[in-house]
Amino acid sequence: MIEGFRLGVFSRGATLWDGLDFAFGDAAAWFVAGPPSSGKTLLLSILRGERRPDAGDVLVSGESLYRGSAALARAWRASCGHVPEQTIADARLTVDDLFRRSALAGGGVRESERRDRADRLLEMVGLPGALGWRIAELSISERVRASLAAELLRGPKVLFCDGVVAGAGIPCREMLRGLFRALAREGNTVVLAERTIPERWALAAGDAAPVGPFLVYRLPVPGAGTKGEPG
Amino acid sequence: MSERPSLWWIDWRLSRGALVRETIGRFLFFCLLGFALLSLLLSGGANRFLADRYAITAVLRADVPSSEAEGLARKVAALPPVRSASYRDPEAAWKEFLLAYPGLDPLRGAGGNPIPGYIEIRIRPDRLTRADVDLVVSALRSVSLVEQVLSGEEWLPRLLRAGRIVSWVCRGIFAAFLACFFLVGRLQERARAVDLGGDFAFLAERGVPAGRLAFFRAAAAAVSGFLLAAAGTAAGGGALFLTLRAFPFLEGVIGPASDLLLPRTVAAAVLFSLGSALLSAAASLSGWRAARSGRK
Repeated sequence: MIEGFRLGVFSRGATLWDGLDFAFGDAAAWFVAGPPSSGKTLLLSILRGERRPDAGDVLVSGESLYRGSAALARAWRASCGHVPEQTIADARLTVDDLFRRSALAGGGVRESERRDRADRLLEMVGLPGALGWRIAELSISERVRASLAAELLRGPKVLFCDGVVAGAGIPCREMLRGLFRALAREGNTVVLAERTIPERWALAAGDAAPVGPFLVYRLPVPGAGTKGEPG
Repeated sequence: MSERPSLWWIDWRLSRGALVRETIGRFLFFCLLGFALLSLLLSGGANRFLADRYAITAVLRADVPSSEAEGLARKVAALPPVRSASYRDPEAAWKEFLLAYPGLDPLRGAGGNPIPGYIEIRIRPDRLTRADVDLVVSALRSVSLVEQVLSGEEWLPRLLRAGRIVSWVCRGIFAAFLACFFLVGRLQERARAVDLGGDFAFLAERGVPAGRLAFFRAAAAAVSGFLLAAAGTAAGGGALFLTLRAFPFLEGVIGPASDLLLPRTVAAAVLFSLGSALLSAAASLSGWRAARSGRK
């Protein structure tokens, strides 16, 4: 379980938010919706152990991410996957480079095994045969899906996705929903941060828990019980 | 999957093209450095050139029998600083004199051969110092068979000083090339660290410590630096060997090709390769640090 206690962030000379409590249970898909500039990306980086909050703490399986040992924080980061909001930073790479880099972070993946798994993952996200494509030549939707597939190569226990649903576009939404549900069913935790939740997803998720500027939904996963609640 | 990814040759895994270009450039540079290093080692700067041209002449008394003179030459040759000591009897000395000064045959007519026998002593290139020359000269002067010792005492100090200056200039040029290698290597490492900054940030975000990345990059740079320096020095040595075989007159300045395989030459090449490995690792770490501080 990932828990945030009394989280606060001071940014640009003002308090962005303060005193927020989160609890993201394991084996579930969580959806954090918030308006632009509300600090969604910041929240994900705090939960990933990348950015120390200005107030409060994050606990992972009961241990503090920021006040505990550095080894614990590293192990946590190693177990996480992260699909960032798409930028032009990786434009020089090919899709294959994304997988190679992801495999390096995971370690110990043989070249043939990597290619085999990459092909299957790309097919799963609707990009068959994209391994040799250059990132610069991909649309935003394709970049998002390629990055997601590359992260899944390592089989992360926790997956943080920033703007992935919006980036992937409407035609890919249901495919992504099915994918996130499948990941949760297999025992992984998925945390999505988006500006708005698709209507069908909101209807299925039921009532959202308001936490500061955010609305936190727990996406229904068939055959899985509730292990945590936000707020 | 293992929890700790192997970071060996991470640059190679992430950016092969750039690394191949850099490696080819460094190998060619090491070939040049290896050629220069071995030439410097064999020649000792200007020492071999000077030692080839400098000789001490021990002029013997007129009545010294050949057998005693040859015995003395053998004893002189056994002195540590001496490379060779050869006895010229009065007849050979007279012929050399006539070769040098043709037309002076009448000098012999009056009282026989006026030129005495002598021993020509040559010093080893690595022992061509004032102290070693003095050692040989004082040993010769104490021998009753020797009439006079000609060692160029008036101009020898200036010659040795000039030799030392030339040697230091040669070493300085070599050190400048090494410094160039370090600076260029640092720039290349920095450029590569900047180029791969996104990849390193990606790995750091996923729990790979930056210190481990820097360490393994430096370790890989050290290993490749050692191998490249060893290969480059071997190639440079091969080129030097062929050059000395093709142009034998260069042996008088640089030294015989066979000296390339002397244990001390090989040991120096190994030391050079180790030093290059250290420089490569230092360039990698320094480039990494510069790239990171530039990014902040």
